[in-house]
Amino acid sequence: MTQQSEWEPKLLGFLCRWCSYAGADLAGISRKKYPANIRIIKVPCSSRVDSLFIIKALRLGFDGVLISGCHPGECHYLTGNYRARRRIAITKKFLEYLGVEPQRIQASWVSASEGGKFAEVVSEVTEGLKEVGPNQLFSERKLNGTKAKAGSQRTTRAEQG
Amino acid sequence: MEQKLRQEAKELLEQNKVDWIIGFEPGSLKFTATPLITRDKDDTERLVINPFMVNNLADFLTGLKGRVGIVAKGCDSRSIVSLIQDNKLAREDVVILAVPCPGLIDLAKIEKLVGKDRDELDDITREGDKVIVKVEGKKKEFTTTQVLFDHCLACELPTPQEYDILLGEVRPPAPELEVSEQNIAKLKETPTAERWEFWKNEFSRCIRCYACRNACPACFCQRCFVEETEPQWVMPVPRWQDNLIFQIVRNIHVAGRCTDCGECERVCPVNIPLRSLSREMYDIVDELFSFKSGMDKEALPLMAHYEQEEAEDLFR
Amino acid sequence: MANKKVSKKDIAGLLEQWSQQFAVLVPSKESGVAAMAEWDGKDTSFLDWYRNTVVPPKASFLPPMEEMFRFQKGEEGYNIEPPPKAERNQLIFGIRPCDARAMAILDMTFKQTLEDPYYLSKRNSAVLVGLGCTNPYESCFCTSMGTSPTDSTNVDLMLIDIGDEFLIEEVTEKGKELIAKTKGLKEVTKDDEAKATQSKKTAYDRVTRKLNTEGIKDRLLASFDDEGFWEKTAAKCIGCGICTLLCPTCYCFDISDEMVKQEGTRFRSWDSCSFPLYTKMPMENPRQEKWQRVRQKVCHKYEFYPMTFNVIACTGCGRCIRLCPVNWDITQVIESVPTKTGVKK
Repeated sequence: MTQQSEWEPKLLGFLCRWCSYAGADLAGISRKKYPANIRIIKVPCSSRVDSLFIIKALRLGFDGVLISGCHPGECHYLTGNYRARRRIAITKKFLEYLGVEPQRIQASWVSASEGGKFAEVVSEVTEGLKEVGPNQLFSERKLNGTKAKAGSQRTTRAEQG
Repeated sequence: MEQKLRQEAKELLEQNKVDWIIGFEPGSLKFTATPLITRDKDDTERLVINPFMVNNLADFLTGLKGRVGIVAKGCDSRSIVSLIQDNKLAREDVVILAVPCPGLIDLAKIEKLVGKDRDELDDITREGDKVIVKVEGKKKEFTTTQVLFDHCLACELPTPQEYDILLGEVRPPAPELEVSEQNIAKLKETPTAERWEFWKNEFSRCIRCYACRNACPACFCQRCFVEETEPQWVMPVPRWQDNLIFQIVRNIHVAGRCTDCGECERVCPVNIPLRSLSREMYDIVDELFSFKSGMDKEALPLMAHYEQEEAEDLFR
Repeated sequence: MANKKVSKKDIAGLLEQWSQQFAVLVPSKESGVAAMAEWDGKDTSFLDWYRNTVVPPKASFLPPMEEMFRFQKGEEGYNIEPPPKAERNQLIFGIRPCDARAMAILDMTFKQTLEDPYYLSKRNSAVLVGLGCTNPYESCFCTSMGTSPTDSTNVDLMLIDIGDEFLIEEVTEKGKELIAKTKGLKEVTKDDEAKATQSKKTAYDRVTRKLNTEGIKDRLLASFDDEGFWEKTAAKCIGCGICTLLCPTCYCFDISDEMVKQEGTRFRSWDSCSFPLYTKMPMENPRQEKWQRVRQKVCHKYEFYPMTFNVIACTGCGRCIRLCPVNWDITQVIESVPTKTGVKK
């Protein structure tokens, strides 16, 4: 079992190809430092992200998900980010109600020229995840850390915490 | 009213104004009505209006080809309007036979209060806002607040706004929101860490029968995401993890089209409190975007519409 | 046959003794849902409320999900790890005659040609202690399906309610052996036997739902292509899996693999012919329409299974009627299957 101090959160980022991904590129070129915890998936638009992806990411063991797109009004496809905004908003609130820590689902608007902002967002989100701790949502462990009752079904590797 | 319904339904078929009639007929169990779906005008004689018309008949609309004459309570009519908003149904292809609804009796609640199963009860009658249950020769009286379905207690539209034929007097809404959302309120009082545990426990019973999905008029995808194998989002195995993911995503997918008809919770054979999920989504959608599904057939669906400024406080 | 009885208030003692040797399953209620679950060591209040479970006892031998094996991919191939054996054999206390008969019907499938080790390893080592009904549901129709509320044919022991006590009928050798080792039982009097006979008759008479299955196999055979009939029959079905998943004689399952990098698990889980993808194949789906799947469900139980095993795969437990979201009723359907004359076999 990994020590708490050695644990690094795994953050999955969905970045829209036109704005946020370019912004992330710019952060790199500008040598802006940001934590390497983020793994990036490039999507054509933030609205490509179905809520299903967010929840699947949590299921697979990611500690947090960040969706980033163009600022409202600047979407390359005109209205994609408006759709994403509604979709992400209800997903965040719904998951919060269910008991998922709100720090795990994050969204931002980062334009292609906002390299600095991108680095800031990733740093802040990663800090938030470090505070919240590893994602135990789908493990067989109870959230307070105790082992679940020995049942007749063995767990798959993904669930063993 | 039943006579009028049978008359109207028969005429609709005779005059070829519709190809199908969907309504209710007496069920094969006590205190049960069952859907009647027919092209035969003689079958209309069996149509009934009674306190046990629980099904949301709009569920059948996406599966039928042709024009349909459909018996609709308020909640059903909202589902019909929602389907029209979604462009799954043309208004002219449906003839709505509106039945003003006084709220339906939840047999599960009665069973809990009386301590007997429904087939052990002699009779259930309603007199105004009292419900009288006759069991073992004795009478037990309950208020409607105690025994109506939670979603009926929250009802904002007992009488369809959108209809062709009205079968009864218009009933104004008289929602008892606090009572209806008791289960949700209780959940919101528990600390968030325990809430996830609660849902974990509930979904351990789920057997993935998909009755919740199939009874829902808003779930009309030809191929549901759970049936997708490339990629496989959810395993067909009824582990609580997969069960929970299925239900969470299902609720998000029907957000803005769910009319809180309560069918999902009613049909679940293992008593998972699904309405505590769907109603919360319903409230979230209203809170964030002032949207109530199925109220205005001209309105754009929730996910197809947007305002310039909204929900910005959730974004960095 | 019977020569012992036990007081209802001594049931806990009985279960405790049996718990030394077996994993004892009793009717339990969680959130109002009755299902067989491991006895907690003290609660016998189920004797007050138990009629039948929602989840049928087949779940003990054919669970909703089961690990078949784990595998690791190595350089030379796959390493397969079978699941651990259960620590103790199961004893199901309180199984109803309809469900016990259903178990016997399931056995036919799992022993045919190839013996299914996952099912049989649990089934063969299990002890079934039946509990005769006193309060059948209005949806029950076991008396029309070759059994009765107190039928002891398919259990090891059958308990008959005679008031404050249960009469214990020893049916199989396994049952006799178990009783021989059990303390706290009393001798049975002629009076007790009379009470038991009365109890059986009362329960039998309380089953009001009847179904005439005469000639149903041939009627269904003749109606196979009657699309109009099946469309009408299937109209109100919403295509969920409740009737099949919770049917004690249904056994369809799905096998799926879950793999993460180099290791994974193969699962077996409940499946249903009601689902549209059940018969999907690369080029076609022979049961793409709902009416075809409803036809399959009815014919499998009342025509195909009898053709193979000479028994209707339905024991009248009534779960499908009780739990169906639209009150689709198999007894009504069977009665409405058209009779045709001049059917060639």
